[in-house]
Amino acid sequence: MDEKNETRIERQGDISILHIQGDITAHSETRINDAYKELNDQGPSPIILIQFEPDAYINSGGIAVLIQILAKTQKNNQQIGITGLSEHFKKIFRMVGITKFADIYADLDEALQSLS
Amino acid sequence: MNEKIRMLDDRTVEVNLPNVLGYERIAMECSASFAKIGGLVKERIEDLKTAVAEACLNAMEHGNRDHPDSRVIITMYLGDKDFKVSVMDAGDGMSIIPQHIDIKKKIEGLEPPNGLGLFLIQQLVDQVEFKKMNGGGHVVKMVLKMEN
Repeated sequence: MDEKNETRIERQGDISILHIQGDITAHSETRINDAYKELNDQGPSPIILIQFEPDAYINSGGIAVLIQILAKTQKNNQQIGITGLSEHFKKIFRMVGITKFADIYADLDEALQSLS
Repeated sequence: MNEKIRMLDDRTVEVNLPNVLGYERIAMECSASFAKIGGLVKERIEDLKTAVAEACLNAMEHGNRDHPDSRVIITMYLGDKDFKVSVMDAGDGMSIIPQHIDIKKKIEGLEPPNGLGLFLIQQLVDQVEFKKMNGGGHVVKMVLKMEN
């Protein structure tokens, strides 16, 4: 169910942006973990910004994948931000406690300005 | 895949899904459309969609144990004051229903990162009941109140 989904890496100074297109479910585990590995293989990545699509379908399996990424960023002393979430998923991320470990930004511009 | 959607009466819709991950989105969209007719506000429709999706995923993975021949049956009732959804599977239900999530333990690897679905359901709906059925199977009954 995940064929149309893509993940892309972009660098802006010290900030590595992980553009995650499409659904975030348990099926996303490999592509998101691979993208995180690739991002680190490209060079030092002290700040990571994850950008979702506002209409993305995110379920508990996808949130679990994101928690795995947060665990890795904590271990690697990387700062992490998240943007592109709908108001509903901002609420969900607060409920689960993700906001204790990652800052959520309204849009890409705000995120880049704050993280720079 | 033979998903089936039918009106049981003018206030009740039943969605009968194969046990296939991803098909929970049919139940999500169907419940959202039906609740919208009843006037459930946009923010609560998003809550409903996530709660229905999580209940279906739980039914497919844990209740029906990913068994390809099992079904998940979602029944939606549009009342004057509330919207009710039940999600039924062939399982026995859960022995422990998590009341809170300790994200720190998950981040530190002291707990598995999954197991968020039941917590989210409880947070997003106004009432929820997890019930083992007498004739076998398990049902999650959820209620969202209409707001004036």
